[in-house]
Amino acid sequence: MTLSGLQGLVALAVFVALLVGFLAANQRWPAHFRRIPAYEALRQAIERAVEAGERVHVSLGTGSVIGPESAPALAGLAALTRIARATSISDRPVLVTAGDGAMAILARDSLRSTYQEVGASELYEPTSGRLLGATPLSYAAGLPAVLANEQVSVHVLSGAFGLEAGLAADFGERAKLFVIGGTDDVQAQALFYAIAQHPLIGEEVFASGAYLDVGPMHTASLRAQDFIRFGLILLILLGVIVRTLEGPL
Amino acid sequence: MRVLRLSAIWAALALGVGLFVLLGYFVELGFIQNLRLIFLRWAVLLAAAALIVGLVNLLAVHWRKVSLTEQGWIYSGVLILSFTVTFVLALVFRPDSPAALFIFNTFQLPLEASLMAVLAVSLLVAGFRMVNRRRDLLSLLFVGTALMVLLGTGPTPGGVEGPVVIALRDFRAWLSQVWAAGGARGILLGVALGATATGLRVLLAADRPYGA
Repeated sequence: MTLSGLQGLVALAVFVALLVGFLAANQRWPAHFRRIPAYEALRQAIERAVEAGERVHVSLGTGSVIGPESAPALAGLAALTRIARATSISDRPVLVTAGDGAMAILARDSLRSTYQEVGASELYEPTSGRLLGATPLSYAAGLPAVLANEQVSVHVLSGAFGLEAGLAADFGERAKLFVIGGTDDVQAQALFYAIAQHPLIGEEVFASGAYLDVGPMHTASLRAQDFIRFGLILLILLGVIVRTLEGPL
Repeated sequence: MRVLRLSAIWAALALGVGLFVLLGYFVELGFIQNLRLIFLRWAVLLAAAALIVGLVNLLAVHWRKVSLTEQGWIYSGVLILSFTVTFVLALVFRPDSPAALFIFNTFQLPLEASLMAVLAVSLLVAGFRMVNRRRDLLSLLFVGTALMVLLGTGPTPGGVEGPVVIALRDFRAWLSQVWAAGGARGILLGVALGATATGLRVLLAADRPYGA
């Protein structure tokens, strides 16, 4: 095993240990996270949509399941289970679209198992998790029809997006919907910041599970993330100080 | 009980396969590397099969719209027709045949280029909308920085290279190489941690995107 391989394994082991540790400590030391107004607004928007009999649309982006870009869509799937629970009392259950066939299948599986858990299996429709287009721009081109014809009022964008992020958010804004958008790509985040009403910046898209109360594991993983982040910041600062002191010597 | 047992089997399968693929990145043992490659090839095959399932699903959605003459059914009809024509042409004459390339170059390419042009206009409108809607320091900084980068990148009237233009270009370079690069690295660090946490949750079967 190479040194970098060993370092990677140790880092992962530390992450898992922190995850399990924070999961065990959740009861004794409950987590207090900073406010993310976008998630607070999303909760309210979902409640309004349920009351008004309107639909929530979740977009899992245009990334593939087997690529590294699958992470934000997997976070979106976790949020989807919570949104599906919240909208299971509505006449119009949540609608999911993706730009990848496998992601659309995962969305359907998540919806089916969530509806089974809450005893509302009749809400599941095979067409509620759809592949909208096989390329990023064809996916974006298919969005306006979905938003207009399915009586959508909440447009959640959580997945891998490129430049089509701007179009996906703009179509929602033009239809005067509640638009919340988060992704892993820095340029697409800038597009969401400019266009979407409620942009998610940085890793906020991965915090959806913890902020929407998906489960204790999500809270624990967010705490582990924060812990490691502060450790890395300290290491970077230490590195800067050491290099600065090394310079004149 | 049976459902519970099945979900445990799926979770164990996902955990086992995930662990081998992950270990393959760190451990250079031939057995693990070979197994990882086999699993990744299976994943590629499954993704291709999933694309076909997704396309059938897409056709089913639009077929229903046409049959029930729902709102916008005519667009669904156009989609089914163009899908069938493209699919048959690519299947009979191969995807890189002149007929398939004609469809790609005549319809898809210009349409996608037009969408990018729409994005440019959307961004301009969004800039004005953002200043109008979110009048805070961050939004003003965002728009101000975008303007500075545009001014520092674009051509000057008559191609004049005066001291103001040179100062603007230097300022743009300083903005993008120091502030933007630093900020992007910070964001990417957070994204990497978030992606790792998400992957570990799936690996530990806390998140089960394959259904519970």
